Amino acid sequence: MNTTSLKHIIRAILILLLQVLVLKRIGLSTSWLWQYGDIFLYPVIVLLLPFRISRHYAILIGFVIGLIIDMFYDTIGVHAFALTATAYARGLLLAYLEPRGGYQLSMSPTIFSMGLNWVMTFTVFSLLIHTFLYFTAEIFTFVYIGQILLKTLITLILSMLVVMGYHLLFNPKS
Amino acid sequence: MNNLLQFVIRYSAFLLFLLLEVVALLLVVRYNENQKSIFAHSSSKLSGNLYKMADDAIQYNRLQQTADSLAGQNAQLKEKIFNLERSLQRLVPADKPLDSCLLEPYKIIEAQVISNSINQRNNHFTIDRGWKDGIKTGMGVISPHGIAGIVDQVGEQYSTAISVLNTAARISAAIKRNEYFGSLIWKEIDPAHMLLEDIPRQADIKVGDTIVTSGFSFIFPKGIFIGTVDRFWTVGGSNYYTLEVRLHEDIARLDRVYIVEFTDDELTPE
Repeated sequence: MNTTSLKHIIRAILILLLQVLVLKRIGLSTSWLWQYGDIFLYPVIVLLLPFRISRHYAILIGFVIGLIIDMFYDTIGVHAFALTATAYARGLLLAYLEPRGGYQLSMSPTIFSMGLNWVMTFTVFSLLIHTFLYFTAEIFTFVYIGQILLKTLITLILSMLVVMGYHLLFNPKS
Repeated sequence: MNNLLQFVIRYSAFLLFLLLEVVALLLVVRYNENQKSIFAHSSSKLSGNLYKMADDAIQYNRLQQTADSLAGQNAQLKEKIFNLERSLQRLVPADKPLDSCLLEPYKIIEAQVISNSINQRNNHFTIDRGWKDGIKTGMGVISPHGIAGIVDQVGEQYSTAISVLNTAARISAAIKRNEYFGSLIWKEIDPAHMLLEDIPRQADIKVGDTIVTSGFSFIFPKGIFIGTVDRFWTVGGSNYYTLEVRLHEDIARLDRVYIVEFTDDELTPE
């Protein structure tokens, strides 16, 4: 195991801890916003995987991380469903957003390697897919499409703030 | 055959994605169908221990508040016990010792909430008691100012409970003043309100009426204060009122809770 994968694993564990111990608790304050939204930082684990990682691994990692989050949120399968899809969409998004010169394969999609605008575009589309599918699977019917969209929007904004805050604060290189 | 193989290799990422999505959806559906999921919940040791550690750290801030609230409850309970014993003594013939006349169908186990949620569609919370302490699925969980939920998954040391803020929760509740009863449900309105449905139209309801548990199911004892009526209405030509009940307990701040164990056999007179 080389240092890069070790770095990714340690970061994943720290982000998972932050998610279930801190961000989940924030939802417990009763002000109006939290009734509709949640804050998801953990998709960043999948989004920050290096460019060169194979799509199969990314999808598998997404599924496993989703199951771990499910265990702590008592929402069996819902997070796993959303994150697996996000991991698959990551491959499509990367292909779609590929710059003319191609990617530097040993790097990760960070501000350091791709610039702020690119990272924001990549993150906002990934999180949109993630939150929309999360609330769709949670409510499990399109009858409440209004509610799904409202929750998606609020969660997307909150998560976006946290994920970009993470990028700007820690400025991860790999 | 060669073509098929090539197809599988070409689209293997997509096929893997489909496979895992189907697995995830199966988990979701299975879980929604019945609460007996095969998967580890937060009643498992790993997540339970982690939550317990985090909760211990946060507990410290609230010690004073908790102590005050517990002292207040103790005082109330003492008052109740003394009054009950006094009234029993009057009712019971003097030659029989008091103890033999007391029924004790309810047992109370105290527990600590170590993880909680209010903003999901189906909320759960985790308590630091499991089958080692005599917790069983289906027991009621009450909190100092009302009701909190019903025990669902039981682990060795930790259990998860369905919060009252869960679309699956149905609690039999009554208006204290005139004993009309209905079922109390949560429709994702907000964490401070629940709906009491199926109250017949002839019932006399006022805003501010007290809602208590009805005692028709053995999950909760009769007469636990749940909340007060905020407003009420009928839908169309329905013969039933729907009441919006403001919960007395702030579910977001659940901390100490009590698990109610009901043992049926002691109901039969000796």
